[in-house]
Amino acid sequence: MESVIEFKSISKKYKRGRRLFLKQALLDLFRPNKQEDFWALKDISFKIRKSETVGIIGDNGSGKSTILKLIAGVVAPTSGWISVNGKVSPLIELGAGFHPELTGRENIYLNGTILGLTEREIDKKFDEIVAFSELENFIDTPVKHYSSGMYMRLGFSIAISVDPDILLIDEILAVGDISFQKKCFEKIKEFKRKEKTIVIISHSMEVIRMFCEKAMLIRNGRCIGFGDTKKLVGSYIKYQDNS
Amino acid sequence: MKEIIDIYKKYKEVFWQLAYREIKARYKQSVLGYAWAVIVPLLNLLVLSVVFSNLFRVPTGGIPYPVFLFAALVPWTFLSNAITTATGSIISNASLVTKVYLPREIFPLAAIASKSIDLLLTCLVLVIFLFFYGVSFKLTMLLVPIIFLVQLILIIGVSLILSAANVFFRDIENIQSVFLTIWMYLTPIIYSTEQIPESLKPLFYLNPMTGIINAYRDAILFGKFPVNLPFIYSSIFSLFILAFGFYFFRKNSKYFADVI
Repeated sequence: MESVIEFKSISKKYKRGRRLFLKQALLDLFRPNKQEDFWALKDISFKIRKSETVGIIGDNGSGKSTILKLIAGVVAPTSGWISVNGKVSPLIELGAGFHPELTGRENIYLNGTILGLTEREIDKKFDEIVAFSELENFIDTPVKHYSSGMYMRLGFSIAISVDPDILLIDEILAVGDISFQKKCFEKIKEFKRKEKTIVIISHSMEVIRMFCEKAMLIRNGRCIGFGDTKKLVGSYIKYQDNS
Repeated sequence: MKEIIDIYKKYKEVFWQLAYREIKARYKQSVLGYAWAVIVPLLNLLVLSVVFSNLFRVPTGGIPYPVFLFAALVPWTFLSNAITTATGSIISNASLVTKVYLPREIFPLAAIASKSIDLLLTCLVLVIFLFFYGVSFKLTMLLVPIIFLVQLILIIGVSLILSAANVFFRDIENIQSVFLTIWMYLTPIIYSTEQIPESLKPLFYLNPMTGIINAYRDAILFGKFPVNLPFIYSSIFSLFILAFGFYFFRKNSKYFADVI
Protein backbone atom coordinates (compact mmCIF):
# COMPACT_ATOMS: atom_id res chain seq x y z
CA MET A 1 0.00 0.00 0.00
CA GLU A 2 1.10 3.56 -0.65
CA SER A 3 2.48 5.58 2.20
CA VAL A 4 0.50 8.70 3.04
CA ILE A 5 3.05 10.24 5.35
CA GLU A 6 6.74 9.64 4.98
CA PHE A 7 9.62 11.11 7.01
CA LYS A 8 13.16 10.55 5.79
CA SER A 9 15.86 11.29 8.37
CA ILE A 10 14.09 14.37 9.67
CA SER A 11 15.82 16.58 12.18
CA LYS A 12 14.46 19.73 13.72
CA LYS A 13 16.56 22.26 15.54
CA TYR A 14 15.18 25.08 17.63
CA LYS A 15 17.28 27.90 18.89
CA ARG A 16 17.04 28.31 22.61
CA GLY A 17 17.58 31.73 24.07
CA ARG A 18 16.38 33.39 20.90
CA ARG A 19 16.61 37.11 20.72
CA LEU A 20 13.14 38.54 20.51
CA PHE A 21 13.99 41.99 21.73
CA LEU A 22 16.57 44.45 20.59
CA LYS A 23 17.76 44.79 24.18
CA GLN A 24 18.57 41.09 24.36
CA ALA A 25 20.26 41.20 20.98
CA LEU A 26 22.48 44.04 22.16
CA LEU A 27 23.28 42.32 25.44
CA ASP A 28 24.08 39.11 23.60
CA LEU A 29 26.75 40.94 21.68
CA PHE A 30 28.77 40.94 24.88
CA ARG A 31 28.07 37.35 25.78
CA PRO A 32 28.60 35.22 22.75
CA ASN A 33 27.35 31.62 22.53
CA LYS A 34 24.26 32.53 24.46
CA GLN A 35 22.20 30.86 21.75
CA GLU A 36 22.32 27.15 22.21
CA ASP A 37 20.78 24.82 19.73
CA PHE A 38 18.12 22.45 20.87
CA TRP A 39 17.38 19.39 18.76
CA ALA A 40 13.67 18.63 19.11
CA LEU A 41 13.97 15.74 16.67
CA LYS A 42 17.01 13.87 15.46
CA ASP A 43 17.12 11.66 12.42
CA ILE A 44 13.52 10.42 12.46
CA SER A 45 12.37 8.17 9.63
CA PHE A 46 9.03 6.41 9.30
CA LYS A 47 6.22 5.62 6.91
CA ILE A 48 2.52 5.74 7.67
CA ARG A 49 0.28 3.99 5.19
CA LYS A 50 -3.27 4.83 4.23
CA SER A 51 -5.98 4.03 6.79
CA GLU A 52 -3.47 3.32 9.54
CA THR A 53 -3.95 4.77 13.00
CA VAL A 54 -0.65 5.52 14.67
CA GLY A 55 -0.15 6.62 18.25
CA ILE A 56 2.88 8.62 19.26
CA ILE A 57 3.97 8.11 22.85
CA GLY A 58 6.76 9.56 24.91
CA ASP A 59 7.49 11.93 27.79
CA ASN A 60 6.73 15.62 27.75
CA GLY A 61 9.20 17.50 25.59
CA SER A 62 10.31 14.41 23.72
CA GLY A 63 9.26 15.88 20.37
CA LYS A 64 5.79 14.41 19.82
CA SER A 65 4.05 17.67 19.00
CA THR A 66 6.88 18.70 16.70
CA ILE A 67 6.14 15.64 14.57
CA LEU A 68 2.51 16.70 14.21
CA LYS A 69 3.56 20.25 13.38
CA LEU A 70 5.87 18.93 10.68
CA ILE A 71 3.07 16.81 9.21
CA ALA A 72 0.72 19.81 9.27
CA GLY A 73 3.38 21.87 7.50
CA VAL A 74 3.42 24.50 10.21
CA VAL A 75 7.14 24.23 10.87
CA ALA A 76 9.86 23.31 8.40
CA PRO A 77 12.44 20.59 9.11
CA THR A 78 16.05 21.62 9.61
CA SER A 79 17.16 18.69 7.52
CA GLY A 80 15.54 15.69 5.91
CA TRP A 81 12.64 15.12 3.61
CA ILE A 82 8.89 14.90 4.25
CA SER A 83 6.08 13.86 1.99
CA VAL A 84 2.42 14.17 2.97
CA ASN A 85 -0.31 13.16 0.55
CA GLY A 86 -3.83 14.29 1.29
CA LYS A 87 -5.81 16.92 3.08
CA VAL A 88 -4.56 17.29 6.64
CA SER A 89 -6.87 18.42 9.39
CA PRO A 90 -5.08 19.49 12.52
CA LEU A 91 -6.97 18.88 15.70
CA ILE A 92 -3.92 20.22 17.41
CA GLU A 93 -5.57 22.85 19.49
CA LEU A 94 -9.29 23.25 19.41
CA GLY A 95 -10.57 26.69 18.80
CA ALA A 96 -7.29 28.11 17.54
CA GLY A 97 -8.33 31.16 15.61
CA PHE A 98 -11.62 31.69 17.38
CA HIS A 99 -12.27 35.34 17.89
CA PRO A 100 -13.69 35.95 21.36
CA GLU A 101 -15.86 38.90 20.30
CA LEU A 102 -17.55 36.99 17.49
CA THR A 103 -20.51 34.66 17.97
CA GLY A 104 -20.39 30.90 17.67
CA ARG A 105 -22.04 31.16 14.26
CA GLU A 106 -19.46 33.64 12.97
CA ASN A 107 -16.62 31.57 14.37
CA ILE A 108 -17.90 28.46 12.59
CA TYR A 109 -17.54 30.27 9.29
CA LEU A 110 -14.19 31.74 10.22
CA ASN A 111 -12.67 28.52 11.54
CA GLY A 112 -14.25 26.41 8.81
CA THR A 113 -12.62 28.40 6.03
CA ILE A 114 -9.32 28.39 7.90
CA LEU A 115 -9.48 24.60 8.00
CA GLY A 116 -10.09 24.53 4.26
CA LEU A 117 -13.87 24.47 3.78
CA THR A 118 -15.60 26.79 1.35
CA GLU A 119 -18.44 28.98 2.53
CA ARG A 120 -20.95 26.89 0.61
CA GLU A 121 -19.72 23.70 2.24
CA ILE A 122 -20.13 25.31 5.63
CA ASP A 123 -23.68 26.40 4.77
CA LYS A 124 -24.47 22.75 4.09
CA LYS A 125 -22.76 21.39 7.18
CA PHE A 126 -23.78 24.18 9.53
CA ASP A 127 -26.69 22.39 11.24
CA GLU A 128 -24.65 19.24 11.60
CA ILE A 129 -21.80 21.14 13.26
CA VAL A 130 -24.13 22.91 15.66
CA ALA A 131 -25.99 19.70 16.49
CA PHE A 132 -22.77 17.81 17.23
CA SER A 133 -21.54 20.59 19.49
CA GLU A 134 -24.91 20.69 21.33
CA LEU A 135 -24.70 24.48 21.37
CA GLU A 136 -27.99 25.26 19.61
CA ASN A 137 -29.01 27.74 22.29
CA PHE A 138 -25.71 29.60 22.40
CA ILE A 139 -24.79 29.79 18.75
CA ASP A 140 -25.45 33.53 18.54
CA THR A 141 -23.58 34.32 21.74
CA PRO A 142 -20.02 35.68 21.51
CA VAL A 143 -17.65 32.83 22.30
CA LYS A 144 -15.95 34.81 25.06
CA HIS A 145 -18.99 33.94 27.17
CA TYR A 146 -18.55 30.22 26.50
CA SER A 147 -17.20 27.89 29.14
CA SER A 148 -13.98 26.13 28.20
CA GLY A 149 -15.96 22.96 27.60
CA MET A 150 -18.32 24.70 25.19
CA TYR A 151 -15.37 26.30 23.43
CA MET A 152 -13.78 22.93 22.95
CA ARG A 153 -16.96 21.27 21.78
CA LEU A 154 -17.45 23.86 19.08
CA GLY A 155 -13.82 23.57 18.00
CA PHE A 156 -14.01 19.79 17.79
CA SER A 157 -17.28 19.87 15.87
CA ILE A 158 -15.82 22.19 13.24
CA ALA A 159 -12.58 20.27 12.95
CA ILE A 160 -14.26 16.91 12.33
CA SER A 161 -16.63 18.39 9.75
CA VAL A 162 -13.70 19.06 7.42
CA ASP A 163 -13.58 15.45 6.21
CA PRO A 164 -9.81 15.23 5.99
CA ASP A 165 -7.67 12.42 4.60
CA ILE A 166 -5.29 12.70 7.51
CA LEU A 167 -6.44 13.53 11.00
CA LEU A 168 -3.94 14.78 13.56
CA ILE A 169 -5.01 14.60 17.20
CA ASP A 170 -2.92 16.08 19.98
CA GLU A 171 -4.06 15.23 23.47
CA ILE A 172 -7.46 16.79 22.98
CA LEU A 173 -9.41 13.77 24.06
CA ALA A 174 -8.41 14.25 27.67
CA VAL A 175 -10.66 17.27 28.13
CA GLY A 176 -14.41 17.59 28.16
CA ASP A 177 -17.06 15.70 30.10
CA ILE A 178 -17.50 11.98 29.80
CA SER A 179 -20.52 12.05 27.51
CA PHE A 180 -18.80 14.34 25.05
CA GLN A 181 -15.64 12.25 25.23
CA LYS A 182 -17.71 9.24 24.28
CA LYS A 183 -19.06 11.13 21.31
CA CYS A 184 -15.55 12.04 20.22
CA PHE A 185 -14.44 8.43 20.50
CA GLU A 186 -17.40 7.38 18.36
CA LYS A 187 -16.44 9.96 15.78
CA ILE A 188 -12.86 8.72 15.66
CA LYS A 189 -14.08 5.15 15.22
CA GLU A 190 -16.22 6.40 12.35
CA PHE A 191 -13.13 7.99 10.77
CA LYS A 192 -11.35 4.68 11.15
CA ARG A 193 -14.20 2.89 9.41
CA LYS A 194 -13.92 5.39 6.59
CA GLU A 195 -10.26 4.36 6.25
CA LYS A 196 -8.81 7.72 7.18
CA THR A 197 -5.23 7.98 8.29
CA ILE A 198 -5.02 9.11 11.90
CA VAL A 199 -2.08 10.16 14.05
CA ILE A 200 -2.77 10.47 17.77
CA ILE A 201 -0.65 11.90 20.55
CA SER A 202 -1.79 10.94 23.99
CA HIS A 203 -0.50 10.29 27.45
CA SER A 204 -3.44 8.01 28.01
CA MET A 205 -2.23 4.53 27.14
CA GLU A 206 -5.85 3.41 27.15
CA VAL A 207 -6.65 5.74 24.26
CA ILE A 208 -3.57 4.57 22.37
CA ARG A 209 -4.43 0.91 22.92
CA MET A 210 -8.05 1.47 21.95
CA PHE A 211 -7.41 3.12 18.59
CA CYS A 212 -3.91 2.51 17.34
CA GLU A 213 -2.67 -0.60 15.62
CA LYS A 214 0.79 0.93 15.44
CA ALA A 215 2.71 3.13 17.84
CA MET A 216 5.86 5.17 17.80
CA LEU A 217 7.91 5.63 20.95
CA ILE A 218 9.92 8.84 21.10
CA ARG A 219 12.61 9.65 23.61
CA ASN A 220 14.68 12.85 23.55
CA GLY A 221 13.86 13.51 19.92
CA ARG A 222 14.80 10.06 18.72
CA CYS A 223 12.49 7.32 17.57
CA ILE A 224 13.32 4.26 19.65
CA GLY A 225 10.52 2.06 18.43
CA PHE A 226 7.91 1.90 15.71
CA GLY A 227 5.51 -0.94 15.33
CA ASP A 228 3.19 -3.08 17.42
CA THR A 229 1.23 -0.96 19.90
CA LYS A 230 1.04 -3.51 22.74
CA LYS A 231 4.77 -4.10 22.77
CA LEU A 232 5.71 -0.43 22.68
CA VAL A 233 3.15 0.68 25.24
CA GLY A 234 4.44 -2.12 27.45
CA SER A 235 8.05 -1.07 27.12
CA TYR A 236 7.13 2.59 27.67
CA ILE A 237 5.29 1.77 30.91
CA LYS A 238 8.20 -0.40 32.05
CA TYR A 239 10.66 2.40 31.30
CA GLN A 240 8.59 4.86 33.30
CA ASP A 241 8.31 2.49 36.26
CA ASN A 242 12.06 2.10 36.32
CA SER A 243 12.93 5.77 36.19
CA MET B 1 3.19 37.72 -9.50
CA LYS B 2 1.64 34.49 -10.78
CA GLU B 3 2.42 32.87 -7.50
CA ILE B 4 0.57 35.62 -5.66
CA ILE B 5 -2.51 35.18 -7.84
CA ASP B 6 -2.51 31.40 -7.34
CA ILE B 7 -2.28 31.82 -3.60
CA TYR B 8 -5.06 34.38 -3.70
CA LYS B 9 -7.38 32.06 -5.62
CA LYS B 10 -6.85 29.15 -3.29
CA TYR B 11 -7.13 31.09 -0.08
CA LYS B 12 -9.58 33.78 -1.18
CA GLU B 13 -12.26 32.79 1.31
CA VAL B 14 -9.92 32.57 4.29
CA PHE B 15 -8.58 35.98 3.34
CA TRP B 16 -12.04 37.56 3.35
CA GLN B 17 -13.10 35.73 6.49
CA LEU B 18 -10.03 37.02 8.32
CA ALA B 19 -10.60 40.57 7.09
CA TYR B 20 -14.27 40.30 8.00
CA ARG B 21 -13.35 39.05 11.44
CA GLU B 22 -11.20 42.12 12.04
CA ILE B 23 -13.88 44.44 10.75
CA LYS B 24 -16.66 42.88 12.81
CA ALA B 25 -14.70 42.48 15.98
CA ARG B 26 -12.96 45.82 16.12
CA TYR B 27 -15.79 48.09 17.05
CA LYS B 28 -18.17 45.55 18.52
CA GLN B 29 -17.64 46.76 22.03
CA SER B 30 -17.61 50.49 21.49
CA VAL B 31 -20.81 52.49 21.68
CA LEU B 32 -20.17 54.56 18.58
CA GLY B 33 -18.88 51.63 16.55
CA TYR B 34 -17.69 52.51 13.11
CA ALA B 35 -18.33 56.20 13.66
CA TRP B 36 -14.88 56.17 15.26
CA ALA B 37 -13.32 55.50 11.88
CA VAL B 38 -14.61 58.93 10.84
CA ILE B 39 -14.47 60.79 14.15
CA VAL B 40 -10.74 60.27 14.72
CA PRO B 41 -9.60 61.66 11.34
CA LEU B 42 -12.09 64.52 11.68
CA LEU B 43 -10.71 65.46 15.10
CA ASN B 44 -7.20 65.33 13.67
CA LEU B 45 -8.33 67.51 10.84
CA LEU B 46 -9.92 69.99 13.22
CA VAL B 47 -6.81 70.35 15.36
CA LEU B 48 -4.43 70.61 12.42
CA SER B 49 -6.73 73.04 10.58
CA VAL B 50 -7.01 75.38 13.55
CA VAL B 51 -3.26 75.37 14.10
CA PHE B 52 -2.13 75.65 10.52
CA SER B 53 -4.69 78.02 9.03
CA ASN B 54 -4.17 80.52 11.85
CA LEU B 55 -0.65 80.15 13.20
CA PHE B 56 1.30 79.11 10.15
CA ARG B 57 0.14 80.10 6.73
CA VAL B 58 0.40 77.31 4.20
CA PRO B 59 0.30 78.26 0.50
CA THR B 60 -2.48 76.03 -0.80
CA GLY B 61 -2.90 77.39 -4.33
CA GLY B 62 -6.22 79.05 -3.54
CA ILE B 63 -7.76 75.93 -1.99
CA PRO B 64 -9.30 76.29 1.50
CA TYR B 65 -6.82 74.77 3.95
CA PRO B 66 -9.17 72.13 5.48
CA VAL B 67 -9.81 70.53 2.06
CA PHE B 68 -6.17 70.91 1.09
CA LEU B 69 -5.25 69.04 4.26
CA PHE B 70 -8.00 66.42 4.17
CA ALA B 71 -7.23 65.35 0.59
CA ALA B 72 -3.83 64.27 1.91
CA LEU B 73 -4.88 63.20 5.39
CA VAL B 74 -7.36 60.57 4.15
CA PRO B 75 -4.82 58.51 2.18
CA TRP B 76 -2.19 59.02 4.87
CA THR B 77 -4.49 57.81 7.65
CA PHE B 78 -5.17 54.67 5.62
CA LEU B 79 -1.47 54.04 5.15
CA SER B 80 -0.72 54.62 8.79
CA ASN B 81 -3.58 52.43 10.09
CA ALA B 82 -2.93 49.67 7.60
CA ILE B 83 0.79 49.44 8.33
CA THR B 84 0.18 49.56 12.09
CA THR B 85 -2.30 46.66 12.11
CA ALA B 86 -0.39 44.66 9.54
CA THR B 87 2.84 44.86 11.55
CA GLY B 88 1.28 43.13 14.53
CA SER B 89 -0.78 40.72 12.47
CA ILE B 90 1.49 37.67 12.63
CA ILE B 91 1.88 37.94 16.38
CA SER B 92 -1.82 38.54 16.99
CA ASN B 93 -2.62 35.44 14.94
CA ALA B 94 0.00 33.36 16.75
CA SER B 95 -2.45 30.58 17.56
CA LEU B 96 -3.16 30.11 13.86
CA VAL B 97 0.42 30.51 12.69
CA THR B 98 1.60 27.72 14.98
CA LYS B 99 -1.27 25.35 14.37
CA VAL B 100 -2.67 25.52 10.87
CA TYR B 101 -0.89 25.79 7.59
CA LEU B 102 -1.93 28.93 5.74
CA PRO B 103 0.27 31.06 3.53
CA ARG B 104 1.47 33.55 6.11
CA GLU B 105 1.09 36.51 3.76
CA ILE B 106 -2.62 36.19 4.35
CA PHE B 107 -2.39 37.77 7.80
CA PRO B 108 -0.85 41.16 6.91
CA LEU B 109 -2.91 41.29 3.71
CA ALA B 110 -6.18 40.64 5.56
CA ALA B 111 -5.18 43.26 8.14
CA ILE B 112 -4.73 45.82 5.36
CA ALA B 113 -8.02 44.83 3.76
CA SER B 114 -9.83 45.23 7.06
CA LYS B 115 -8.88 48.91 7.04
CA SER B 116 -10.59 49.50 3.71
CA ILE B 117 -13.88 50.15 5.53
CA ASP B 118 -12.28 53.05 7.38
CA LEU B 119 -10.90 54.33 4.11
CA LEU B 120 -14.30 54.12 2.44
CA LEU B 121 -15.95 56.05 5.26
CA THR B 122 -13.33 58.80 5.32
CA CYS B 123 -13.55 59.05 1.53
CA LEU B 124 -17.27 59.72 1.86
CA VAL B 125 -16.50 62.51 4.30
CA LEU B 126 -13.92 63.88 1.87
CA VAL B 127 -16.52 63.97 -0.90
CA ILE B 128 -18.87 65.90 1.39
CA PHE B 129 -16.01 68.30 2.15
CA LEU B 130 -15.33 68.84 -1.54
CA PHE B 131 -19.00 69.72 -2.10
CA PHE B 132 -19.10 71.92 0.96
CA TYR B 133 -16.04 73.94 -0.07
CA GLY B 134 -17.21 74.19 -3.64
CA VAL B 135 -14.45 72.16 -5.26
CA SER B 136 -15.90 71.28 -8.65
CA PHE B 137 -15.69 67.90 -10.36
CA LYS B 138 -12.61 67.43 -12.51
CA LEU B 139 -11.86 64.74 -15.07
CA THR B 140 -8.50 64.08 -13.41
CA MET B 141 -10.39 62.78 -10.36
CA LEU B 142 -10.97 59.62 -12.39
CA LEU B 143 -7.24 58.92 -12.11
CA VAL B 144 -7.39 58.62 -8.31
CA PRO B 145 -7.69 54.78 -8.43
CA ILE B 146 -4.32 54.62 -10.23
CA ILE B 147 -2.68 56.71 -7.52
CA PHE B 148 -4.34 54.54 -4.90
CA LEU B 149 -3.02 51.40 -6.56
CA VAL B 150 0.55 52.70 -6.30
CA GLN B 151 -0.05 53.63 -2.67
CA LEU B 152 -1.49 50.18 -1.94
CA ILE B 153 1.58 48.52 -3.47
CA LEU B 154 3.77 50.60 -1.20
CA ILE B 155 1.64 49.75 1.86
CA ILE B 156 1.74 46.01 1.13
CA GLY B 157 5.50 46.07 0.60
CA VAL B 158 6.22 47.95 3.83
CA SER B 159 3.70 45.82 5.77
CA LEU B 160 5.29 42.55 4.63
CA ILE B 161 8.72 43.70 5.72
CA LEU B 162 7.61 45.05 9.10
CA SER B 163 5.26 42.17 9.97
CA ALA B 164 7.96 39.58 9.28
CA ALA B 165 10.65 41.54 11.10
CA ASN B 166 8.31 42.05 14.06
CA VAL B 167 8.19 38.30 14.67
CA PHE B 168 11.91 38.26 15.35
CA PHE B 169 12.25 41.68 16.96
CA ARG B 170 9.16 42.69 18.90
CA ASP B 171 10.62 46.18 19.30
CA ILE B 172 9.36 47.02 15.84
CA GLU B 173 5.84 47.41 17.14
CA ASN B 174 7.07 50.16 19.45
CA ILE B 175 9.38 51.86 17.02
CA GLN B 176 6.90 52.00 14.20
CA SER B 177 4.63 54.67 15.68
CA VAL B 178 7.64 56.99 15.88
CA PHE B 179 8.68 55.93 12.40
CA LEU B 180 5.20 56.72 11.05
CA THR B 181 5.14 60.13 12.76
CA ILE B 182 8.51 61.07 11.29
CA TRP B 183 7.43 59.80 7.90
CA MET B 184 4.28 61.92 8.11
CA TYR B 185 6.27 65.09 8.81
CA LEU B 186 8.60 64.31 5.91
CA THR B 187 5.57 64.08 3.62
CA PRO B 188 3.72 67.21 2.42
CA ILE B 189 0.49 66.49 4.29
CA ILE B 190 0.02 69.42 6.63
CA TYR B 191 2.20 71.68 4.48
CA SER B 192 2.88 72.19 0.81
CA THR B 193 5.88 71.17 -1.29
CA GLU B 194 6.32 74.83 -2.22
CA GLN B 195 7.54 75.55 1.29
CA ILE B 196 10.55 73.26 0.87
CA PRO B 197 13.76 75.16 0.04
CA GLU B 198 14.84 74.52 -3.54
CA SER B 199 18.17 73.02 -2.42
CA LEU B 200 16.44 70.36 -0.29
CA LYS B 201 13.83 69.38 -2.86
CA PRO B 202 15.76 66.49 -4.50
CA LEU B 203 16.19 64.93 -1.05
CA PHE B 204 12.56 65.60 -0.23
CA TYR B 205 11.34 63.78 -3.31
CA LEU B 206 13.24 60.62 -2.33
CA ASN B 207 10.32 59.89 0.00
CA PRO B 208 7.90 57.88 -2.17
CA MET B 209 4.87 59.30 -0.35
CA THR B 210 5.72 62.82 -1.53
CA GLY B 211 4.97 61.97 -5.15
CA ILE B 212 1.84 60.06 -4.17
CA ILE B 213 0.35 62.78 -1.94
CA ASN B 214 1.10 65.50 -4.51
CA ALA B 215 -0.53 63.34 -7.19
CA TYR B 216 -3.69 63.07 -5.09
CA ARG B 217 -3.80 66.86 -4.67
CA ASP B 218 -3.14 67.45 -8.36
CA ALA B 219 -5.91 65.08 -9.41
CA ILE B 220 -8.53 66.02 -6.80
CA LEU B 221 -7.96 69.70 -6.08
CA PHE B 222 -6.08 71.29 -8.96
CA GLY B 223 -7.33 69.30 -11.95
CA LYS B 224 -3.74 68.70 -13.04
CA PHE B 225 -2.61 65.50 -14.74
CA PRO B 226 -1.06 63.68 -11.76
CA VAL B 227 1.41 61.41 -13.53
CA ASN B 228 4.66 63.35 -13.39
CA LEU B 229 8.27 62.47 -12.72
CA PRO B 230 8.02 62.22 -8.89
CA PHE B 231 4.94 60.01 -9.23
CA ILE B 232 6.68 57.69 -11.67
CA TYR B 233 9.59 57.49 -9.25
CA SER B 234 7.12 56.62 -6.45
CA SER B 235 5.59 53.88 -8.59
CA ILE B 236 8.94 52.26 -9.35
CA PHE B 237 10.04 52.60 -5.74
CA SER B 238 6.78 51.01 -4.53
CA LEU B 239 7.11 48.06 -6.90
CA PHE B 240 10.64 47.53 -5.73
CA ILE B 241 9.53 47.59 -2.07
CA LEU B 242 6.74 45.13 -2.87
CA ALA B 243 9.12 42.70 -4.58
CA PHE B 244 11.62 42.97 -1.77
CA GLY B 245 8.80 42.66 0.80
CA PHE B 246 7.59 39.39 -0.68
CA TYR B 247 11.10 38.02 -0.93
CA PHE B 248 11.92 39.00 2.65
CA PHE B 249 8.62 37.66 3.99
CA ARG B 250 8.90 34.34 2.15
CA LYS B 251 12.42 33.82 3.32
CA ASN B 252 11.57 34.41 6.96
CA SER B 253 8.06 32.97 7.17
CA LYS B 254 9.43 29.41 7.37
CA TYR B 255 10.69 30.20 10.85
CA PHE B 256 7.66 32.07 12.20
CA ALA B 257 6.23 29.03 13.98
CA ASP B 258 9.63 28.24 15.52
CA VAL B 259 9.90 31.62 17.12
CA ILE B 260 6.42 32.74 18.13
